[in-house]
Amino acid sequence: MDWIFLSELAINGALTGLLYSLFAIGLVLIYKASSVPNLAQAGLTMVGAYVVLALARDLGLPLWLAIPIGAVLMFGLGFGIERVALRRLAGRPVVMILMMTLGLDIFLRGTTLAIWGGTSRSMELGVSYEPLFLGDIFLSRIHVVGAAVAIALFVAFMLFFRTRTGIKLRAIADDYMASWSVGISVERGVGLSWALASVVAMAAGVIWGEIQGVDQALSLLLLKGLTVAVLGGLDSILGAVVAGILLGIIENVGADFLDPIVGGGSRELIVAAVLILTVMIRPHGLFGRHDIERV
Amino acid sequence: MQDKVEAQPILSMNSVEVLYDNVMLAIKGVSVQVPKGEMIALLGSNGAGKSTTLKAISGLLKAERGRVSRGEIKFEGTDITDMLAQNRVAQGICHVIEGRRVFEHLTPEENLTAAAPSGMSRSTLNVEKEKIYNYFPRLAERRNSLSGYLSGGEQQMLAIGRALVTQPKLLMLDEPSLGLAPFLVAEIFGILQKINKEDGMSVLLVEQNALAALEIVSEGYLIENGRVVMNGTAAALKANSDIQEFYLGAGEGTDFHNVKHYSRRKRWLS
Amino acid sequence: MFYRLSGVHHANYVSDSRIFKVPADRNLAVFVLLFGLAAPFIVPSLYLNSYMLPWLIWTAAALGLNLVTGWAGQLHLGYAAVMAVGAYASIHAARFGIPWEFALIIGGLASSVIGSLFAFAALRVKGLYLALTTLAMQFVMDWVLTHSPAITGGSHASLQSPTLALLGQDITSDTGYYYVAFGWCVLVTIFMLNLKRTGLGRALVAVREKDFAAAILGVNSFYYKILAFATSSFIAGVSGALLVATFFFLAAPEQFSVAVSIQVLAMVIVGGLGSIIGSYMGVALILLVPGIVNGLVSGSSQSLGMQINVETLAHIPNAVYGALIVIILLIEPLGLGKLYGNIRDYLMVWPFDQLRK
Repeated sequence: MDWIFLSELAINGALTGLLYSLFAIGLVLIYKASSVPNLAQAGLTMVGAYVVLALARDLGLPLWLAIPIGAVLMFGLGFGIERVALRRLAGRPVVMILMMTLGLDIFLRGTTLAIWGGTSRSMELGVSYEPLFLGDIFLSRIHVVGAAVAIALFVAFMLFFRTRTGIKLRAIADDYMASWSVGISVERGVGLSWALASVVAMAAGVIWGEIQGVDQALSLLLLKGLTVAVLGGLDSILGAVVAGILLGIIENVGADFLDPIVGGGSRELIVAAVLILTVMIRPHGLFGRHDIERV
Repeated sequence: MQDKVEAQPILSMNSVEVLYDNVMLAIKGVSVQVPKGEMIALLGSNGAGKSTTLKAISGLLKAERGRVSRGEIKFEGTDITDMLAQNRVAQGICHVIEGRRVFEHLTPEENLTAAAPSGMSRSTLNVEKEKIYNYFPRLAERRNSLSGYLSGGEQQMLAIGRALVTQPKLLMLDEPSLGLAPFLVAEIFGILQKINKEDGMSVLLVEQNALAALEIVSEGYLIENGRVVMNGTAAALKANSDIQEFYLGAGEGTDFHNVKHYSRRKRWLS
Repeated sequence: MFYRLSGVHHANYVSDSRIFKVPADRNLAVFVLLFGLAAPFIVPSLYLNSYMLPWLIWTAAALGLNLVTGWAGQLHLGYAAVMAVGAYASIHAARFGIPWEFALIIGGLASSVIGSLFAFAALRVKGLYLALTTLAMQFVMDWVLTHSPAITGGSHASLQSPTLALLGQDITSDTGYYYVAFGWCVLVTIFMLNLKRTGLGRALVAVREKDFAAAILGVNSFYYKILAFATSSFIAGVSGALLVATFFFLAAPEQFSVAVSIQVLAMVIVGGLGSIIGSYMGVALILLVPGIVNGLVSGSSQSLGMQINVETLAHIPNAVYGALIVIILLIEPLGLGKLYGNIRDYLMVWPFDQLRK
């Protein structure tokens, strides 16, 4: 075994994994505040990418302006989704909430494609495709940029959860009733978590759009993002980052071993296996809270 | 007696009815007045409707699919019957809910921060926190460990402290003595009395432990089956023979060999 | 008015455990059954085969999922994978020369075996975590299908279904296909209608409501969960096989992808968990309405002389499908079955309830 090759696989895996984390952070934000598993995160990611693209391409705005405006729009969208769709379902069985987010996902994807069409478009962030060298190891620049964004968001959210608003959000996640009793607006808090998750989704959409083009395939991130979120513990942002790196490495190195044996395409299989094993062995994930439903 | 009638009560509930799920009538016309700066107790057995009464005042009924179907609740003269819970807190009503529900994954320090009103400045918040830590020195010692790991008494103190951060004019407590050792009950009640006296905060206390409660309050209401069945000063209630028998566990020196073979009914129920 | 009694009043246990507690319900069921039998002679064959036939088969499949999700309360996001197992097993058996009657049963049993694997996940976790596990299992099954040429002929290949023959009779006409689908749907419906009167049905409901409380009553929740998954998987397998044999004629992995799993779950939830008539309505809504809306949009745009992008037109059904799920859940989280029940209950005492006011 070639160690340089292996470490290249591992490092690139870790970078890709951090991009999964970027997606998973959005899931965790919402789950943390309201225990809603947001399966519409993939739809939101797609919407985010298309909105930025539309602002930059169709309206001709420069990217540095398109991205903040996109963030504002997504913030509003997230708030709106919670207000219209999720608030009415609060306290309903999880099957209905899951279905609602799935329905939203289908709706968002369908609407996005109906408006902008399904042909793949490129994001053109202006990141060079020249590989980056770290010793003998090749790195892709956009992956490094994406990983940096993921880590920056992670740090930002860690700090945010220490601010007063952040503490209130954590309080809401702990106990709705107690939050109401001391005058915390639970509704606004949950709405805020959706809004923030939508902005994160946009960040993920822009980076992934640059890597693989802006099209339907962005929604395939859902399985990987879910796996990262579950492996890290559905309510832990630190978990999402660590699990992202871990899954990226397992996937990249594992695929290198498995692909020759099964004839390619084993990534999905590895990810699904990690998800199943996590739920079976340690459902609360690496850093998640313990209070979970078990039979 | 004269000026008590003249003083406007800080809270007045007039024949309030509460319906859960549009079918279950939990309280049936309860009227309670809390005079400003006084400490009032609601007494009664399990399921009598005490907690529901508090939730009707604090606006937490909505979370349990309940609503006030009749009557009105006035706080400082304004009608708050249909106000949102968070606005009532802003008005100055804070409810310490039953069962010591602190934010378990937050530290006591963060629990206090979480309850701070959004307009409160950092310095005011720190002053408030210091005041609370002065009331409850045990909390100060453990201010940075997770609240889920605090002892029952400490959690109750934290729950009260958390309510105090909202700077309420009326503090409502639901069974603060539940499951606590008697010396802790005494400590907590002592502090409640101190807060009531020093800050002039009105307190509405729900208790099953009537003996402890009647020691510190000035007036009490007895609730049975969703109705107020008796109301009077603490001294009057303590002197009442029914209260003594059913709530204070009196009947000193009863010789159980000679006890009569019928059980006395609570007279007010029929 | 419409119901010849006011409210439901049972005087004895037998009347309480009837399938149709109100004569009007029974009459409605008989009417629908007769209509179903006569449909080939009334409905144009285009509608018969492109709308009614898939509707009936999907309803049978949805009822199977309703058994495990609605009755036993176990979330299942891998139902299409189980259907795929049945479809491929049956078709391979039929291609091998086994008569279709047995091939269908082989398909059902194969699905039961694989479907019971899903149950092992259900023995360990429930709720969200079960949904995620079954979703992952669906992805595993997708992967297996696209990567095993022996089963499917590879990722983009498809498998031809041999001519359907039942009871020694080759079935090739549209009417014949329709009656096969109709018969299967009626069979599953009768099974489901009777389920709630049996010990099995009651045990499943007990497990759904609180599995440990059921355990205290002596209901072995492990056993019943596996039984629920196995039964529902059998229905899924046969439905999957019939879907290929009478509708697609070719089996391809995409017909049983994750999206299909989500679609069946959407049918069940939009229809109403645990509601049989709801499943019929949910399937109709999810399966047929997006296409109808699309037809309306393209029709009206043509008549108004507006140009609508082809791509836009292609994606409108998806947007409508998502919107339908959201809207129904907002209007009535318990689904169309509950809405129907509300209307029926209202009519049951109408107009006499007006007298009270």
